[in-house]
Amino acid sequence: MNATTAEESAGHRSGFDLIWVGRLIAVVAGALLLLYPVLSDNLYYQNMIILSLVFAIAASGLSIITGLAGYVSLGQGAFIGLGGYTVGILATRHPDTSVWLWVPLAGVTAAAVALILGFVALRARGPSFVIITVAFLFLVQVIAINWRSLTGGTEGLSLPIPTWSRDIANWPFYYTLVGILALQLLLTWWIRRTKLGTGLVAIREDETKAATVGINLPVEKIIAFVASSVLVGMAGGVYGYYLTFIDPRGMFNILLSVETMLALLVGGKATLWGPVLGAFIVEPLNEYANNNLGGGNTRLLLFGGLLIAIVLFLPQGVLPAVESLVNWVRTRGKAGLVGARIGTGGSLSALTERLSLVERDPAVDPPPLLEVKDLHKAFGGLKAVDGASLVVPEGSITGLIGPNGSGKTTLFNLIDHTIHADSGEIWLAGERIDRLSSWSRAHRGLGRTFQITRLFREMTVLENVVAAQRSFSWGQLGRIAVSGAEARAAEDLLEYVGMRAFRDQKARALSYGQQKLVELAQVLMLDPRLILLDEPAGGINPVLIDRMSEMIRELNSYGKTFLIVEHNMPFVLGLCDPVHVLGRGRTMASGTPAEIQKDPAVVDAYLGDDFVLESADAAAPQEASS
Amino acid sequence: MTEFIQTLVLSLLVGGIYALVASGLTLIFGVMRVINIAHGAFLILGAFIAYTWWNQLGLDPLVGVVITTPIVFGLGWLIYRLLVRPIRHAPMSSTVLLTFGLALVTEGVMGVIWGNDSTSINPSYVDQSFHVGGVFLPKAQVYGGALAVVVLVVLWLILTKTWLGRAIRAAAANPASAELVGIKVTSVAAVVFGLGLAAAGAGGAITGVLYPFLPGSHYLWIARLLAIVVLGGLGSIEGAVISAMIFGLAETVTAVYISPAWATAVPYAIVFAVLLIRPQGLLGTRLRDDAVAT
Amino acid sequence: MSHVSIRHGWKAVALAGVMSLGLAACGGGSSSGGSGSSDTLSIGASLPLTGDFSEPGSAAKQGYQVWQQLVNANGGLLGKQVKLVIKDDASNQNTIVSDYNALISQDNVDMLLGTFSSLLNLPASSVAEKNQMLYVEPAGGSPDMFNRGYKYLFFAQQATADKQGLVFADWVKSLPPSQRPKTAAYPTLDDPFAAPNVDGIRQVLEAAGIKTVYKTTYAIDTKNFDSIVAAMKSANPDLVVHGATFEDGVGLTRAMLKSGWTPKMFYETSTPSFADQYTKAVGAGNTEGVMYAVSYSPETDTPGNKEFVAEYKKMFHTAIPPEDAADAYAAAQVMQAAVEAVGSIDDQLKLADWLRSHTVDTILGPLSWDDTGAPQGQFLIGQWLNGTAEIVLPPNVATAKPEVGWHPSGS
Repeated sequence: MNATTAEESAGHRSGFDLIWVGRLIAVVAGALLLLYPVLSDNLYYQNMIILSLVFAIAASGLSIITGLAGYVSLGQGAFIGLGGYTVGILATRHPDTSVWLWVPLAGVTAAAVALILGFVALRARGPSFVIITVAFLFLVQVIAINWRSLTGGTEGLSLPIPTWSRDIANWPFYYTLVGILALQLLLTWWIRRTKLGTGLVAIREDETKAATVGINLPVEKIIAFVASSVLVGMAGGVYGYYLTFIDPRGMFNILLSVETMLALLVGGKATLWGPVLGAFIVEPLNEYANNNLGGGNTRLLLFGGLLIAIVLFLPQGVLPAVESLVNWVRTRGKAGLVGARIGTGGSLSALTERLSLVERDPAVDPPPLLEVKDLHKAFGGLKAVDGASLVVPEGSITGLIGPNGSGKTTLFNLIDHTIHADSGEIWLAGERIDRLSSWSRAHRGLGRTFQITRLFREMTVLENVVAAQRSFSWGQLGRIAVSGAEARAAEDLLEYVGMRAFRDQKARALSYGQQKLVELAQVLMLDPRLILLDEPAGGINPVLIDRMSEMIRELNSYGKTFLIVEHNMPFVLGLCDPVHVLGRGRTMASGTPAEIQKDPAVVDAYLGDDFVLESADAAAPQEASS
Repeated sequence: MTEFIQTLVLSLLVGGIYALVASGLTLIFGVMRVINIAHGAFLILGAFIAYTWWNQLGLDPLVGVVITTPIVFGLGWLIYRLLVRPIRHAPMSSTVLLTFGLALVTEGVMGVIWGNDSTSINPSYVDQSFHVGGVFLPKAQVYGGALAVVVLVVLWLILTKTWLGRAIRAAAANPASAELVGIKVTSVAAVVFGLGLAAAGAGGAITGVLYPFLPGSHYLWIARLLAIVVLGGLGSIEGAVISAMIFGLAETVTAVYISPAWATAVPYAIVFAVLLIRPQGLLGTRLRDDAVAT
Repeated sequence: MSHVSIRHGWKAVALAGVMSLGLAACGGGSSSGGSGSSDTLSIGASLPLTGDFSEPGSAAKQGYQVWQQLVNANGGLLGKQVKLVIKDDASNQNTIVSDYNALISQDNVDMLLGTFSSLLNLPASSVAEKNQMLYVEPAGGSPDMFNRGYKYLFFAQQATADKQGLVFADWVKSLPPSQRPKTAAYPTLDDPFAAPNVDGIRQVLEAAGIKTVYKTTYAIDTKNFDSIVAAMKSANPDLVVHGATFEDGVGLTRAMLKSGWTPKMFYETSTPSFADQYTKAVGAGNTEGVMYAVSYSPETDTPGNKEFVAEYKKMFHTAIPPEDAADAYAAAQVMQAAVEAVGSIDDQLKLADWLRSHTVDTILGPLSWDDTGAPQGQFLIGQWLNGTAEIVLPPNVATAKPEVGWHPSGS
């Protein structure tokens, strides 16, 4: 789950008195962590905290790629090792230079390797990705073993013993790690609030859909990779110096990765503080098992058992579990917002800042905005789209109809590259786009809703809307998304579709009709020139259908072009001109609604019985809740 | 030339055993989309069970497969019911983590029961070989390889000739439709999980005779097995068999002609290369959730 | 919105804070109530009782336990009873660092003893060095141990790994031409102990004109030795020098027997010194003539050896103590000698200085060290003859004469 959202919804319902209690405890706790080495010279606990800090940094880094972007990595420990080796190699070659100087370089090495791994892993998802991260870890280990001249092979590298006073022997390690952890948390916190962060969560929720709302998948995933490793590399460097000895089997031990993953899962993988909490639970537990429960096998049973128990019983982790318990206690007996009424909708004129207007000269025939030429797509032997060609004139509301299985949705998928076409051309505003990625098409002005809505279920309504990225720039990725200008723009759009009251609801909690409205707002956030709507009137009540066609007309009057797939014939014939008819994957007929209704081939193939049926369907309210 | 033929023969003998174990892993994936990281651990468990029969009762470890396999099957069935079924709708990464935990627990349990020392099974024929021309065929490998082929054939017959097999293939192809025609997918999945682990257990009993093992050996095995099933195409048994042979060859050739030190890198390099060039493997079909267009 | 998320953030820090409070409390508690009572002397070590080095690690634990038993029976150390605190590091480096930190700060031990294998002794010895505590280790012969300028580190065997096979190499060199091998193969485990050992022998033999026909290094997780043996078979060397620990030594030996090819002479590190375990694993008939470097022989009449063997038998019901148990015992003897000579453990630099300038009698024989803590002695060479492990070199301590050739009954 996304913690920001839970935080928000909780925040709206509770008073602020608890904040100060929390802050007070936090300040005391932070101070204690900072003061511990001064207060106690117990090396055992200092060592335990140092190791916990290393795991906290590693787990917090991992939360970016695993918690936000949803890519489970069992190779995170490799970055600790790479950092350790960078420092080890440089320190043994330059004995007269302070070892601390190499720590930032350890971060650079980790980031560079993460960049390469990011490129390799781009094509993998789900279990393939997990396998690739494990393979990566072992491959780095084998290289460290065999590249003797650089790494010293299995004999490892010995770093110089620290020269400072024995009384403060651990202090520099301790405080450097505290500092790195602070930086890591700041980085994680910041990313979560930016467009990049919402983009990553969108990738986690639905990667294909994320691409259609303009999220540049490879770039954002690679940035996430690098961000999740750079400070971990630095921590690994400090860790290697602290151990004073590094070798491939220790530094690239898969148990380091497992412990990191465990810390993340125990604490809560999509929370900011969960990984830290997790690390400070898991590592002390590890030490306890080792010292008091007989080590070795007990530790395996403990780690393995914990991993199983967490996956089965506490998949969200401790912190979210505590949060939802608190929320449950607070909101018991109070009604939720889902039953609230959809707003009457705002005026579009308020949105002129957000949406660009297109002035049209009604005297001139509009140029084509979208042109599809001889598009083909086969699934095995089934030719889903078989030579479809159509034109959507600029400023029109074009309809696309056809019997079930005639290839309408597949055609939409080809136009926005949710599916790759076998052959054919797609032109948008005079530019050929069929070789472009989904997000590039979105950036060029293509927006699309889905037949069965595909909102990012675990994100709030507001986050769903701000997740859309209308262009790609490095600067934009760093822009704060959850507040400020982006959030205001999203709220205005939500106001327009009538969903502002729901801004902090999880998308999965909405009714189907509400989801359709939010998806429209999400697409509008792209400020598209052409909006593809896949059955906008399907499965929603008549009031909402009227509101939908009203909005389409209004947006159209401001210059937005539409291509609409719809079964509801009165809706299509009343709204669209021209209308294309698709049959067996190719365009059967095109013309005005009147021409289409009279076309004997169309009537024969499609409109005949269906016509009556569809109209009856649309008249019956299918949804009562909204 | 003799050396090359020798290399070839040895790698094929090893490949047969890899094929058996990997087919269990890929079968599980094919039906339930679970990557069983604990597969290697159950292989070692099979080896320890075979060791116990041999050590306590003097039972030949290869004959003992008849007893070992049902035990591991039952264990697999139980594990599916208790652990995997509750999270069958969770994201695939959850099951990866779950089975990873299972691997650690199994390793710990084996350590507690049999100790953490290296163990070997030494039946009378273990150091003997057949000699054909200048080439030697170690008896244990020949018997083991033959047994692996027999078990594989039995598995293949179950999958193609029985009602159960048709149910399994239906459940793999389309779980929802399989339910419609009266197949209880979760029951089938439990049997498949048992069968998959049983293949690992049988493979373990065979490899236990060939190489010494200890509870921690499973990491090495799972790395190999994953490389094999990824190369063959996740879910494809034919692919797993072919790639097991290729893999045995690549490993042996690297060890003989390059360096044994790099032979351990072969699995990881293969995983990288395959996922980079052809993510669906040799015979796999592209999974929607598995590969992304970039 | 931001203030709200910070609120939850602080809550998390608070949780972490409560944990540190707990830690602080624990820390206070245990440091006041530690084990530093006046009538016992506690001695700490962490050993690899599970994981890759569990075999020798467990043997080393037995060695320490025998020493504790004998010392306490003889009135203890500095008049105090000795208490051993032994942890399990699972052959894992960050665990061993935690363990030695815990021994020093948590268990408040008075003295340390080393662990098994160079890989674990390297990080463990630096914890001891940082805390200025004497660190005598029984099994970490990698030359790398001693080029770090440590002051508190001592290795309680006769020679570092690179020098352990030299006695054997010199003997091979001195054989009459008819018996002397003309070609040799050097497979070795990639390990800081085995590899330098084999390398040291190879350099001497190559200089003496014995041709190297095969040389390879394999990874620790190698289980399948058929391919290495197939390659050696086609190179057909007279002598195989194998750098092994245990499992791989058994694996290579069995693979050679399976292939029907065995070299005329066979030298292997470590594996053949595992007495009963070795004969059980490769078959008693196949041991005949195998040579190995060894630090200890149960047969020698070094001072205290008889008591050690007798006590070991009494405690563990095995007639032949493994080499690693003896090495551990010797390490404890070295530590004991320094403590008794100096008479106090308060300044452990004095203990180290004393060791640097004295020779200590152990069950391995007399041991002495250079400034780096590396030992300055000669290793023993053992050979399996008629089912018994004999010491055959150097001649002054030998229990039998070396025989040329490996004669496995399998071939």
